[in-house]
Amino acid sequence: MKKSIKIFLVIIVVGLVTGLSTVYYVFNMPHRNIEKESPSFTMDASALYGDFSKDEVLANDKYADKVVEVKGEIAELTVENYQVSIVLNDEMEGVNCALDSLTVVKNKEMIKLLKIGDAIILKGKCDGFDMIMGVVLTQCFIVK
Amino acid sequence: MRYLLLVVFATVLLTASAQKQITKTGTIEIFSETPLFTIEGTNKKVASILNTENGEVVASTLVRSFKFHEALVEEHFNENYMESHAFPKSIFKGRIIDFSSLDLSKDGTYDIMIEGKLTIHGETNYVKEKGTITFADGIISASTEFPVSLKAYKIRVEKAYTKAIQDEILLKIHFNYKPYSKK
Repeated sequence: MKKSIKIFLVIIVVGLVTGLSTVYYVFNMPHRNIEKESPSFTMDASALYGDFSKDEVLANDKYADKVVEVKGEIAELTVENYQVSIVLNDEMEGVNCALDSLTVVKNKEMIKLLKIGDAIILKGKCDGFDMIMGVVLTQCFIVK
Repeated sequence: MRYLLLVVFATVLLTASAQKQITKTGTIEIFSETPLFTIEGTNKKVASILNTENGEVVASTLVRSFKFHEALVEEHFNENYMESHAFPKSIFKGRIIDFSSLDLSKDGTYDIMIEGKLTIHGETNYVKEKGTITFADGIISASTEFPVSLKAYKIRVEKAYTKAIQDEILLKIHFNYKPYSKK
């Protein structure tokens, strides 16, 4: 076999392998790890709600898709199997946090003991502001 | 007399609040399947209020609360298709047709028709779809399943992907309501 053909074949094989692995990687790109991400904002739940109720568009630009750590008092607690939602400060005018199933499994016993009025610190991804739910955080992890 | 008025007023207020049913943990599943690509997403942060006096329903959710198996699909869903930075929410406002003909005290599952205005991606369309409502021990739950057309909501799919993504996306929606009692 001529040397040039050999080189040509090697280039094609290398090209195919890198191409396919890039496609494979992009399609299987890992999800954000909210638990390990350090929060862009650390604040009281009431301050976060206040920012959204003042100017929703502005607050969306500032907080949406960011990891926010909020501190507040539990106003509502919904536990449905591994789906746990904690609303901070006020049932309607508060911060509604959907816990990540990983944190629910890990803190099963602690969640059982939670009650209305308890102080808690949660960290999650801010999805925006809803007329019924208030400020919504999803994939939340219990910080303290 | 003043006292009586107060009592009447308080009773009216109390019964009015008992006629509303609420959920903040409703679910929407979206589904699209072509020979090339299957898209499945779930949103477990869907809120809804049902007024059992007249059958009025509102439902709302945030687009960013949708979760997908593949991170890439989630990114494209938000950035290219739903443009969640510009249109962060989806809202339905409408009613259950002939709600008054349903007997809430009788347990069972009933077929219903829902009509109203659905806003997705900043576009509002009139929808009229079938659904079911279930009464069991005073607990109300409701489900509906219908397709939405991407074109109708001006959600643009690049030419290269028109074969991979259907125009009709199936929505499966479910609510378990609780009586709404706000002090």
